[in-house]
Amino acid sequence: MELTLSFLEKKKFPRSRKNYNSLASLRIHSCQGQMKIQQMAFMILAVFFFFVLVGLFFLGITFRGVGESAQQLQMEQALSSLEVIADMPEFNYYTGAAMTLDEDKLRIMSGDFSEAYEDFWPVASIKVYKVFPKPESFVKCPAVNCNYFEVYDSGQSDVQEYSTYVSVCKRVRESGRTYDRCEASKLVLGVIDVLE
Amino acid sequence: MFWNRGQQEMVGFILIVVLVMIGLMVFLVISLRTSPDEADSLEVTNMLNAIMSHTTECAIPSVPNYETFEDLFKSCYENDDCAGTVGSACDYLNETLRAILEDLMASEAEVDAYQFDFSVADDVGQEGLLRIFEGECTGEVLGAQGRIDAGAEDLIIRLKICRGED
Repeated sequence: MELTLSFLEKKKFPRSRKNYNSLASLRIHSCQGQMKIQQMAFMILAVFFFFVLVGLFFLGITFRGVGESAQQLQMEQALSSLEVIADMPEFNYYTGAAMTLDEDKLRIMSGDFSEAYEDFWPVASIKVYKVFPKPESFVKCPAVNCNYFEVYDSGQSDVQEYSTYVSVCKRVRESGRTYDRCEASKLVLGVIDVLE
Repeated sequence: MFWNRGQQEMVGFILIVVLVMIGLMVFLVISLRTSPDEADSLEVTNMLNAIMSHTTECAIPSVPNYETFEDLFKSCYENDDCAGTVGSACDYLNETLRAILEDLMASEAEVDAYQFDFSVADDVGQEGLLRIFEGECTGEVLGAQGRIDAGAEDLIIRLKICRGED
């Protein structure tokens, strides 16, 4: 029986020089194929990481701009709020020009009358400074030669201040004639800093 | 037509280089398009408007017809003189504009530099009449422009401020 089997094996797989060569060649080709697959895998990984890095670089640049834009938008929003306050009838000059405050109204609102408006203001503080000509020191109104109006101050701490330029105007009588005298000033609003 | 392995790899390499070049060019185009040199700003517009409506000490033709800066630009363009001992409108404008800009910018901690341009524009182009420039710009540039009607020509007022990097 053993003899028969060994004979059959020999028949099926004859041991010749030619067959040994083809087997060795098959092994070498198999190794080369594996190498090629490995090379391809590494190449795909390298290309993938390269594009990931390029993408990260691009996203970094893009989102840096978004951060700056958000900051600018926040500033513009604050300036719009300043415009809303400046154009309120409690402050606005009779001409109705935008960002133009009435000095007489400011004088009244920064005096004792301001107490009646305490619950009205949607902000923590409202101040107006005359900035030209540059004063040696700011003198609070009402006073002689005053240059600073404190319309409202809630006394809250952690207040973030936003400012913009406005015109403060009043009717002046000189040489028997009246005219509008306007001065470049700064409107400063305080809002509670929610970020802190 | 069978290429050998070296040729195939060269073609692949060139293809990758071309793809990367195209990607970089697209990136550069987008970057350049989204980063303008100068942006219009509401903040600077308000500053310019406050300057324009500021009443000066120059009265034309007589006291108390005091000119605002906006009127003064027009009077300077028409070579008018201020009443009394103030002098010519242009000399007064030059002197007072420098002073107001200096004082306003002094109250802004973030401003590194500023530039104010006064020019006249017609159908042909623009001609500069006055330029005030102070400081050295290293950060973001914000600007605003105003236009004053002066008959056949327009007077262009442009203010640029440079906000330093934080």
